Amino acid sequence: MSDLERDRREAQRELNKPDERPDASLRITRRTFLHKSIVAGAVTGAATYGWFPLINTLNLAYGAQAPFSFAWISDTHLYPKTVNTRFVEKATRAVKEVQGMKPAADFLMFGGDLAQLADPVELRLGNDILKEITIKKHFIPGEHDWYLDMGKTWVSLFGNSPWTFEHKGVQFIGLDTVSRAPDYWSATKMSPKERMGHMATLDGSVAGPWAGVGSDQLQWLNKTLSPLPKDRPIVIFTHNPLYEYYPPWNFWVRDWRQVHEILKPYTNVTNIHGHTHQVLYNEIGTMRSIGMLATSWPWPYAPEGVPALTKPMIRANPGDYFDGVGWAKLSVTAAPRVDYEYMMWRKDVYAEAQVDSGTGDNDNQILRPRIADQMWPYK
Amino acid sequence: MRKILTWRGGLLLLAAFLFNFVSRMGDVQAHKEKHTPEQLKAFQDVFMEQVRVGDLLFHGDGEAEKKFGVNLSKTGMACAMCHPFASDTHPHEFPKFQEQIQEFATLRDMINWCIENPNEGERIDVNGPAMKALEAYHYWSNKGSVLDPGKH
Repeated sequence: MSDLERDRREAQRELNKPDERPDASLRITRRTFLHKSIVAGAVTGAATYGWFPLINTLNLAYGAQAPFSFAWISDTHLYPKTVNTRFVEKATRAVKEVQGMKPAADFLMFGGDLAQLADPVELRLGNDILKEITIKKHFIPGEHDWYLDMGKTWVSLFGNSPWTFEHKGVQFIGLDTVSRAPDYWSATKMSPKERMGHMATLDGSVAGPWAGVGSDQLQWLNKTLSPLPKDRPIVIFTHNPLYEYYPPWNFWVRDWRQVHEILKPYTNVTNIHGHTHQVLYNEIGTMRSIGMLATSWPWPYAPEGVPALTKPMIRANPGDYFDGVGWAKLSVTAAPRVDYEYMMWRKDVYAEAQVDSGTGDNDNQILRPRIADQMWPYK
Repeated sequence: MRKILTWRGGLLLLAAFLFNFVSRMGDVQAHKEKHTPEQLKAFQDVFMEQVRVGDLLFHGDGEAEKKFGVNLSKTGMACAMCHPFASDTHPHEFPKFQEQIQEFATLRDMINWCIENPNEGERIDVNGPAMKALEAYHYWSNKGSVLDPGKH
């Protein structure tokens, strides 16, 4: 048994206690029913390669006071216009479409990675593009926004995290999962550009397991949640997923166990995240986690498998740079239901067969981490 | 009698010669000398240096591109941005009909397609050092994947 599988089985034992059940007021939504049918093997869309804990068949119901919707945009990865206009085009398109929503969304959630290299030019470009959205906007940073000047420009433009607000009966929380990286730059006296360069490399081996909530935010989260009734609908926005999907690409937070200890008593928790640039869905204890698309480019699914409840997205055509990317509309209805809709810019979102998702290749894809950033001229 | 002895002797001599020849066939090699461990290490070092260079090119290292006189991207993007750990490149599935190119293609053809299209870079010599280094990195990164040529 590999270390990864051992970790996952430990997670299963910890999080899936035999006497634990979702809140009785919850009922199955159409979307979750679809996921259950995938789990039963009725559809070949999901590739459950690699053992993933099959957690509670959760579904979700929000006792929202009135229906409302909000939009999510993330992972725009803007370069200066002199270098690349492609990402600018796509971010602009997402912004126009969000602004054009009818009825208008209650707010926009920007989920991080506005810039590519945290250059103030890139961040200000993003700010200018987002100004076209006139509804309220909330922000959390991505790692690409932070490590050039350790968040100085980001905070001056978009404010601090974590934050929380209540809206129509739902408690929204924004956590920063990117700024608490263990220091990998001081010992070798890296320049800010070098530091950012290593952080910007998803498969790099220098920045290490940088994604984490951190003890200060964990305490804040606990304090923020403790006055709330245990069945209060809670939506937590993060850049990285709040579970262990694929640590080598920081598709996780390193303290996800502590996060779940805090979230355990609450029966209506949804985590919405960016960073992974792909359709994802998972359920951990009484929390469900939904991965959002990037506007910039899609990433392949992790080589060791996707969560069993994920219906994978269609494999993008690399020749079409609008394929496999987009934004999302999320609706909270008065009837107890939450819907989310991926606004992908090409016709299909989901793969109907494994061959169309790329996940079918995962069982014959043995990969190795890169070596060059551990050797001269980096060291 | 003498004729028989001579004839038998000749046969024995021939048999001895053939036996000696066949038994020494296991010693026939492509090289005059067996490889020493030092030589094998040297071959491996040459390969790993190409993997290192290919890794740098794959990750958009400007200095490496300058050294080889190549321009792999005009968009600021690098191969690794869509293919972390060289995932989803599937070198073990080439050659095959490649949809994007609309022809039967090798890995090197696909590398050039990616350089020219999503990266908007300049096509590189398919037999040049940059291409060989990139190829070395692709294969090394996917080592252990089962050969499955022709797979879509």
